[in-house]
Amino acid sequence: METSFALTGKGYVIVAADTTAIRSIVKMQIDQDKIKELSPHLLMAYSGEPGDTVQFAEYVERNIRLYQIRNLYPLRPAAAASWIRRSIAETLRTRNAYSVNLLLGGYDTSSHTPNLYWIDYMGTVVEVPFAAHGYGSYFALSLLDRYHDPEASLEEGLATLKRCIDEVSKRLVVDPGKYKVKVVDKDGIREVEI
Amino acid sequence: MSIMEYNGGSVIAMVGKDCVAIASDLRLGSQALGISSNFQRIFPVTDRVYVGLPGLATDVTTLRERFRYRVNMYTIKEEREIEPETFAHLVSSTLYQHRFGPYFIEPVMAGLSKTPSGGFKPFIAATDLIGCLNFAKDFVVAGTASAKLFGVAEGLWEPDLEAEDLFETISQTLLNAVDRDAYSGWGAIVHVITKDKIITRTLKGRMD
Amino acid sequence: MARRYDSRTTIFSPEGRLYQIEYAMEAISHAGTVLGVLAKDGVVLAAEKRVTGKLLDLSSAKEGGGYGGSGEKMFLLNSNVIGGVAGITSDANSLVNYARTVAQQHLLQYNDDIPVELLAQRLCDMKQGYTQFGGLRPFGVSLLYAGYDPHYHFQLYHSDPSGNYSGWKATCIGANNGTAQSLLKQEYKDDLGVEEAIGLVLRVMSKTMDSTTLGSEKLEFAVLTYDEAAKAPKAKIYKPAEIDALLRAEGLAKKDEDTEMK
Repeated sequence: METSFALTGKGYVIVAADTTAIRSIVKMQIDQDKIKELSPHLLMAYSGEPGDTVQFAEYVERNIRLYQIRNLYPLRPAAAASWIRRSIAETLRTRNAYSVNLLLGGYDTSSHTPNLYWIDYMGTVVEVPFAAHGYGSYFALSLLDRYHDPEASLEEGLATLKRCIDEVSKRLVVDPGKYKVKVVDKDGIREVEI
Repeated sequence: MSIMEYNGGSVIAMVGKDCVAIASDLRLGSQALGISSNFQRIFPVTDRVYVGLPGLATDVTTLRERFRYRVNMYTIKEEREIEPETFAHLVSSTLYQHRFGPYFIEPVMAGLSKTPSGGFKPFIAATDLIGCLNFAKDFVVAGTASAKLFGVAEGLWEPDLEAEDLFETISQTLLNAVDRDAYSGWGAIVHVITKDKIITRTLKGRMD
Repeated sequence: MARRYDSRTTIFSPEGRLYQIEYAMEAISHAGTVLGVLAKDGVVLAAEKRVTGKLLDLSSAKEGGGYGGSGEKMFLLNSNVIGGVAGITSDANSLVNYARTVAQQHLLQYNDDIPVELLAQRLCDMKQGYTQFGGLRPFGVSLLYAGYDPHYHFQLYHSDPSGNYSGWKATCIGANNGTAQSLLKQEYKDDLGVEEAIGLVLRVMSKTMDSTTLGSEKLEFAVLTYDEAAKAPKAKIYKPAEIDALLRAEGLAKKDEDTEMK
């Protein structure tokens, strides 16, 4: 099952997701990027039903970009979270329900704060200082409870993330191996090596 | 495992002397895994009406947004704030519209309604997930810890409690009831509504 | 010559004109004036009422729950936008209702107040539809939108029956709008504060209104500012008593007169 983590720090959000695409006992791909860049300051890691995930993530990506093109300014993370949530909640009780869990991390350029939202496949949205999806969450969340610091520098944040990744490698039966890690701050989005 | 218990959470409202109080826990879980200790499920509708929405978290947000829409339209067109009884009926009819595919929420409402003489009367109400209204005179409870809340409230509640005493009573009721429930807890918030102001306090409770 | 091409919205005339839209604008030029001025810390709107009379029941406006106005010219569209309408009142009511629904829909989707320009665009998209499809006549209403959003702060827009809109620092619609517009052009300065804008609006209204003196029976007034404490826009549509007080403060109130309006 796919694992993703995210945590906030001083002026940034780190979003990490594993890079394996698994079908039954086979690793079909080991370098998949599961973190979409929705806008210059918004990242979204997705996991869940294969097919639904990429379809929904691209649907969100294109619509957020459309809003930006139409209205000259991008959606703030909070408004984007709300729109995404509504898209999930409206289809929940229909045949076209998406079974996708998301971590939405962004930097709000008007209030100069990092925001992180945990979104599940039913449309539950909650703003959190750190979050995780997948089996890895059972290991990572307690570590993050202990070691997370909302005022940590980027290096400290990445060190905390490394703790989570190492714990999952050590204890989860299906070790994902490699993770893609992206950071969003006032300067935008960049990928980092962990 | 019932869908109403998936995320956890409980709400209680009580009547006092010229005041009402509404309180809830702050836990959001994914069954046994705790996700957030800051999940708000009580929302102001107007200065004098509050609604608490325990149940499935996605429906909490959906219903809160739908009620906000309908109450905003009401306020703008009627040019006055909605009364608690009217809001309770709005909640009931909204839920019944989804009778055969309901929202998994059991709303609890608390407020002060205007009397013809210009004074205020305490008001509480609750509905089940398909909108059956219950206008109680003492207290209403809902959520995963509802059975425990009934028990403690029955023991601690008495009529005509002043605002500060009502605060103590509802706080103790909530705290002790959720401590017995695995899916509720992780913090609590209480709102006491009087005719002049609303006092909101976050309670320090067991975080296990 | 126009007669053969003016009975349907869905056809152009040989000169390339849409007569129905022009006729709609003609209808508006007979309606009560609405004037708007943009200040650096707020937007001011004023309107001349046409439906007046001793027998008119204005009790809801006097006691009203804080929304003021008699519901003829000024409407609260959303907590951050006030609309002023000029034209056919029933068409205006329909558009106002639509605007309110659109604003709430946006709130439902984005959990955020609708940006002012977006609200104007939605209404204009709808109005444009009535000039191209369905064979229905256009709305005989022009609107002024006074609003605030966090991106572009205070804004003033004007939309007309064709579905076209534009942003203004000061503008006027309805009867005598030419006079008012030229007065505004002379007297408007950038960097006006809200207080000066109020004064400017009332002075220009007194010169363009049909009636000789200003009073709350003929005037509707609204101001949109930003409340620093609540960190939210504040829309205020004045009640009749407040308008009279404002006029007295500006020295424009009518002297104690003949007709009892009570």
